[in-house]
Amino acid sequence: MKIIVCIKQLYHVYARTGLNPSEQFLEPEDKVSMVNPFDEVALEMGLRVRESLGQGEVSLLTLGPIIAESEVRRCLAMGANRLVQIEADHGMDPWRKSFFLARAIKEIGAALILCGKESLDRQSGQVGAYVAHRLGLPFVSAVVSVTVNPETGALEAERRAGRGVREVIVCSLPAVLSVDMGLEVRLPRFEDKQRALSAPVEKRVYSEDGDPARTLVRRIFPPRPRAKKVFTPDSRVEAFERIQQLLGGSRVEKMGTMLTGSVETQVDGIVSFLKEHGFGEIGKE
Amino acid sequence: MLTSLDALLFAVAVLVLGKGLTRRSSLWLAGQKEIRKGSLSVLAGYLLTSGKILKRPLQGSAHVLVFWGVVLPALVVLASQFHPRLPETLSKLLSLFLDLLGLAMLCALVFMVARRWKKREEAGPKRTAIPALTLLGILFTGFLAEGARLSILGPGFSWQSPVGSVFSAVLPPSPLLMQLMIRLHFFAVLFLIASLPFTFLRHLVAGSLNVYYKRQKPPGQLRNLSLHGGVPGAKRVSDFSWKQLLDAEACVSCGRCEENCPASIAEKPLSPRKVIQSIRGQMEASLSLLEHSVSNDEIWSCTMCMACVEHCPVLVEPLDKIVDMRRYRVMGEGALPSEAKAVIRNLQLYKDVYGRGIAHRTDWAFHREVPLLLEEREILLWVGCSGAFHPRYQETARAMVKILKASGVHFGVLGKEELCCGDPARRLGEESLFVETAEENIRRIKRHGFEKIVALCPHCFNTLKNEYPPLGGSFPVVHATEYVADLIRSNKIALKYSLPAKMAVHDPCYLGRGNGVYTPLREIGKAIPGVTLLELARNREKAFCCGGGGGSMWLHEKLGKRMNFIRAEEVVRSGAEIIGTACPYCLTMLEDGIKNLEAGKAPKVMDLVEIVASSIR
Repeated sequence: MKIIVCIKQLYHVYARTGLNPSEQFLEPEDKVSMVNPFDEVALEMGLRVRESLGQGEVSLLTLGPIIAESEVRRCLAMGANRLVQIEADHGMDPWRKSFFLARAIKEIGAALILCGKESLDRQSGQVGAYVAHRLGLPFVSAVVSVTVNPETGALEAERRAGRGVREVIVCSLPAVLSVDMGLEVRLPRFEDKQRALSAPVEKRVYSEDGDPARTLVRRIFPPRPRAKKVFTPDSRVEAFERIQQLLGGSRVEKMGTMLTGSVETQVDGIVSFLKEHGFGEIGKE
Repeated sequence: MLTSLDALLFAVAVLVLGKGLTRRSSLWLAGQKEIRKGSLSVLAGYLLTSGKILKRPLQGSAHVLVFWGVVLPALVVLASQFHPRLPETLSKLLSLFLDLLGLAMLCALVFMVARRWKKREEAGPKRTAIPALTLLGILFTGFLAEGARLSILGPGFSWQSPVGSVFSAVLPPSPLLMQLMIRLHFFAVLFLIASLPFTFLRHLVAGSLNVYYKRQKPPGQLRNLSLHGGVPGAKRVSDFSWKQLLDAEACVSCGRCEENCPASIAEKPLSPRKVIQSIRGQMEASLSLLEHSVSNDEIWSCTMCMACVEHCPVLVEPLDKIVDMRRYRVMGEGALPSEAKAVIRNLQLYKDVYGRGIAHRTDWAFHREVPLLLEEREILLWVGCSGAFHPRYQETARAMVKILKASGVHFGVLGKEELCCGDPARRLGEESLFVETAEENIRRIKRHGFEKIVALCPHCFNTLKNEYPPLGGSFPVVHATEYVADLIRSNKIALKYSLPAKMAVHDPCYLGRGNGVYTPLREIGKAIPGVTLLELARNREKAFCCGGGGGSMWLHEKLGKRMNFIRAEEVVRSGAEIIGTACPYCLTMLEDGIKNLEAGKAPKVMDLVEIVASSIR
């Protein structure tokens, strides 16, 4: 079975230690280039599917310039068979990205297309769905485990539906899955890492421009921290208390009601509190 | 008196000995190449003083008596074949000496056999029985022959052979008996010689060779791995170097490593003795995969504290075998315990073990004047990941800065240029990542001018001092405690404020056993006014590991007891109010352990650097 895993390379910004607002307070060491961790999990899932079937080919597909070469090669060393790079400029919107990806996937051909649920930098989580849309394939998001039945050509995917709920979804192959965290990503063997260092990168160039972008990023900025009200501490209390008040906000604001007594009286207390605040309808259903 | 038949028999025995030894040596010579220089003076010194054997006085002196009880009479008998002419008194004195030596050896042998008999360990009695009984036979026949000879000469006590006289009192004056005993004595000796390569007595040869090829480097330095071609680490026995296999050959399974191994004491599955014996077993049998005889649980229980290396009487090093097995399992199979994978990833991406990133490396010095090493300075302060990121150890880093400032010395830190030294990666078996990080660090250090590096963490210290030179980075490195002790000695800092408390010192493995730094810690302790210095029950080279070394800081301690709890109990028992150490891992592990005990008056765990800083205020 042919499996394609889309991997996004990104700069993970983990700090802003710079002083220059026009560079968004970024210093060169504030970011690390890496492969999106969700995509690494997707690769792990692809490799496990290949192993469970005993045969198959896992191709890595990446879009744009190679900015995290060592990490991409590490993905190869984890066990992917080949690496395909679509040459394109940096900074496209998800809709245009999906055009290039779908195009390449069509050319390579695959029964299972995996990608991360979202990327660590933008977190839009759209590309996988758009790719499925363009290819006209079923799409399952936030998958945590998958089993493929080669005879029936169907797959069973377990997905996170939020709030601790899991769904098991059966769908036909080919399909596009976006993968959530969960599987433990393997450590590449040294031998494979050495081999991956010299593995070729298959480049694909698409001359036509594809669809125009449907969304436009106007501005990227770190939000200003929310303003905090600083009040004058009560001069009658002692210094320690005053410092505590300044550090912790006013006492009145944060003061909650502590319910004491038996369980029944505490429940009564909660119910009467809810009624007071207009949640009175809850109990009547 | 040597007949031609005797000579022939003797020749046969020596031939069997030689054949056996070559067959044994072919086993360990099958290992990989490794360049080792031998030193005759080390061997001679070891044999004459009995080296580490005497570290356990009772068993050690028994061993010494048996050793000399075999060697000296053998030398005398050999020399007597040339009929040397000795003055009568001298020969009588020699006779008296040999007689008494024989008696002493007899006592020692009986003690050793009794000890083995009582213990009944799986590895022990079986193999020691034949040589021990042969030795006993040699002794008894010798005394009986002497007794028979004396009783032929006539009754009465002769002072030059007291034991023989006692025997003569009960023996008939029969020349036949004497001849019979001399024959038996001779045959037993021949049997001993011929059987030497096939019993545990081969440690006479293998142990001596192992001492001869003793490592010249400190025990904390691991073998460099050739990363180009070949298996990374040890998959099979044949992947070990010949010296490593000679180690296995020299092991007599005495169990001193096991008695001192913190993992064995904490009832974890690891026993260094068993590891070495498994390697020896595999070496003798077919060369199958090592993982069949040494399990993952065993190799990941090791904290690389070097207690086994320190205490082995024949200088066997179980540690480097465990490291090589880890290397293969990590680099060859990718089988790293899952909790440790995060550390490796953090090191790869963020260049530190805490995954905080280079941008945060100077946060510990925020709003403090800590100079960067921009121009040539005396001291480069190597902060390390713990000093830079661990909230508790950041305090120690700041304390160190305070001391350096008080001393008026010109120092600087590398700041964001510093990376993790690579020790955790190396001890976890990820050698390629270690080499990568270390080489980058060496490049960065070389850009700066300084007189010496002062490392805050013993693990960084050991790595910078011992493991960077083979990679091309030889720098003068001292540990913070050494440097602070130096400052105190030369009166560069004045310790004004007293600390009236009982303090004990916990020796970090990588300072003490790894690099022999014991005294500076105690010097510092003594220099602080008001401090009464105590010693823990296990101290100096016997110090018990906190359980955080060798990458164990990032591994779950699922099996057996927790090492830090054991050490914490010992600390509380000692009655110390403050426990001074000099390592971030020890600090964390001991603090956790002591908190867990919930003792009424819990001792406070502090880094010695902090204690000094609080005293100079």
